[in-house]
Amino acid sequence: MNNRPKAMLIDITRCIGCHNCDLACKRAHNLPEETEPELSDTSLTVVQERHGRSVRKLCMHCLDPACVSACPVAALQKTPSGPVVYQADRCIGCRYCMLACPFQVPRYEWTRLAPYVKKCDLCAEKIARGEAPVCVEVCPVGAVQFGEREELLAEARRRIAENPAYVQRILGEEEAGGTSVLFLSDVPFEKLGFALPPDNRPLRVLTAGPLQEVPTVVTLGSAVLATLYWITRRREEVALAEEEEKHPHPGLPPRARKREVERS
Amino acid sequence: MKIPTFPKLTVWRVLVALIFAAGLYATVVRFAQGFQASTNLSDAYPWGLWVGLNTLCGVGLSAGGFAIAAAVYILGLERYRPVVRTAIVIAFLGYLTVVAGMLFELGLPWRIWHPIVLWNRSSVLFEVAWCVMLYTTVVALEFCPTLFERLGWPRLQAWHPRILIGLVVVGVLLSSLHQSFLGGLYLITKGKLYPLWYSPQLPALFFLSAIPAGLAVVIMALYLSARSLRAHFDLTIQRELSFVIGLLLALYALFRGIDLISRGGWEYLWMMRAETGWFWLEVGLFVFLPLILLTYPQVRGSPLGLYWTSVIIVMGFMANRLNVAINALQASAGVTYVPKWTEFAISLAVITAAVVAFRLAAIHLRIFPVEEEPAAPLYGAVPSARAFTPAR
Repeated sequence: MNNRPKAMLIDITRCIGCHNCDLACKRAHNLPEETEPELSDTSLTVVQERHGRSVRKLCMHCLDPACVSACPVAALQKTPSGPVVYQADRCIGCRYCMLACPFQVPRYEWTRLAPYVKKCDLCAEKIARGEAPVCVEVCPVGAVQFGEREELLAEARRRIAENPAYVQRILGEEEAGGTSVLFLSDVPFEKLGFALPPDNRPLRVLTAGPLQEVPTVVTLGSAVLATLYWITRRREEVALAEEEEKHPHPGLPPRARKREVERS
Repeated sequence: MKIPTFPKLTVWRVLVALIFAAGLYATVVRFAQGFQASTNLSDAYPWGLWVGLNTLCGVGLSAGGFAIAAAVYILGLERYRPVVRTAIVIAFLGYLTVVAGMLFELGLPWRIWHPIVLWNRSSVLFEVAWCVMLYTTVVALEFCPTLFERLGWPRLQAWHPRILIGLVVVGVLLSSLHQSFLGGLYLITKGKLYPLWYSPQLPALFFLSAIPAGLAVVIMALYLSARSLRAHFDLTIQRELSFVIGLLLALYALFRGIDLISRGGWEYLWMMRAETGWFWLEVGLFVFLPLILLTYPQVRGSPLGLYWTSVIIVMGFMANRLNVAINALQASAGVTYVPKWTEFAISLAVITAAVVAFRLAAIHLRIFPVEEEPAAPLYGAVPSARAFTPAR
């Protein structure tokens, strides 16, 4: 496979709810092999029954992820090939990624004494070897496909055009700046329990503006403070000089006189 | 000779001991059994009381330190010089409680130093971490001369004024940045934070609200110290501070009102929802009640009146920060978060430790504006209890 950005296309109309994917995921990540109803620190992907459909939930692997911008120690990184990966050895456990994620995905090991963040890594190691994520490999009906993002988007558009039953929307094409996990559905996504981002801009832009102003604030701020300080000093000197005129103090210039006053 | 202390000595001591005992127990639970046992935090509510109270309130209520330092050293408002040490000690202890709170709040607290070497310039929290780290250092250095004076290290004390103005300038810049950025942390929660609180102006709102709240803490500390240490302070400073607080609160109210209305927040003001109640409680305590109270000459003129007004302001400020940290996220989280008692116990113990430390500082260091009354020794036998002369 080449180095172009990869993605995963999940077609909710095709899913039969067999749970092969979440169980294979658990095997691959050394987690206890039992199906769970919600994402958790031991369940990086789940299949939920919503509105008569079987709905996968997992990290959306945003193109410009909020968690990556939020993490103070850069423990979360977007790799060029697609996966958003977590370097546990950097993490300080602040959990700001969880607050930042517009899809409400990251989970925390609340029961552990050295807790880490848990989320789908899109089998980044397998992708680096040129393989597909394990959930793709085990799907018996092709409900989840792996490939280049552009090609998968074209495929998704083709399916929507061919079959009017589909909702006219590819979830992940543009949400929060686009994601590397794409969903197709014949039921509106709002009814399927998806947490959806506020708009199609990456959430990073919400904090980028104020952060860009830091150098300006520091430069302008120090200039203003220095000026104010200079004015204050000047006023003191003028006041001292006036004092001097009224009550001359022989032998000492005003500056030295002031120091004298301060010392006494 | 008997050393005068708190009036109801035993009651206070027992209370403090109980708080520390509960805090100690909760600490053991936190570090021996983890978050699950010690908190009600969850994946839907990753940030709770510790962030809201220890970090957001702790930093905000310490804002008096940089505000008064700036007023005295940069603007040359000499009339506030007598309380500059009080404000700096409060800020120093405030930031120590923030750092202590962090050690409970972080999942991997032994890695608290990671932001020093592992950088992410696009993270608001990274900026906050650096600013808090640097400002804690700055405020510690600003506090030094008070300590050197007590320890009798005149050479270090003499060296200090040379760097003081630099420290104050850096302190003001750092404080302005991270007071704002604590609000900036929540910019990324667009769509999650309830519209009565979410605003692109969160950084400015956090900055504007922190200064009056920080000054209110200084008034409270002066009043309580005067009472419990039976000292007589020059209380005209409190009156002047309350005037500044009133102006800043009015400015904040105006700014927040315009911001809210311009973003179409009008309809949210009257919805039959829990958030509406929290909002009105907050602005009632933080803005309306204090502003009304401060119009009365009887309130402005009495230390007790100013003290209670300050208490209300501080409560209103805490309501604001806790609303942002907890209540405004309730609807989007879809679960109710009520802190576990161990969370309260740890927060309370950390705050109590700061109060006890402040009391010790009040007794052993010269941090107050004291009227010269050579006839009646103010603190009895305590050696540092000489009449206050402004530190130059």
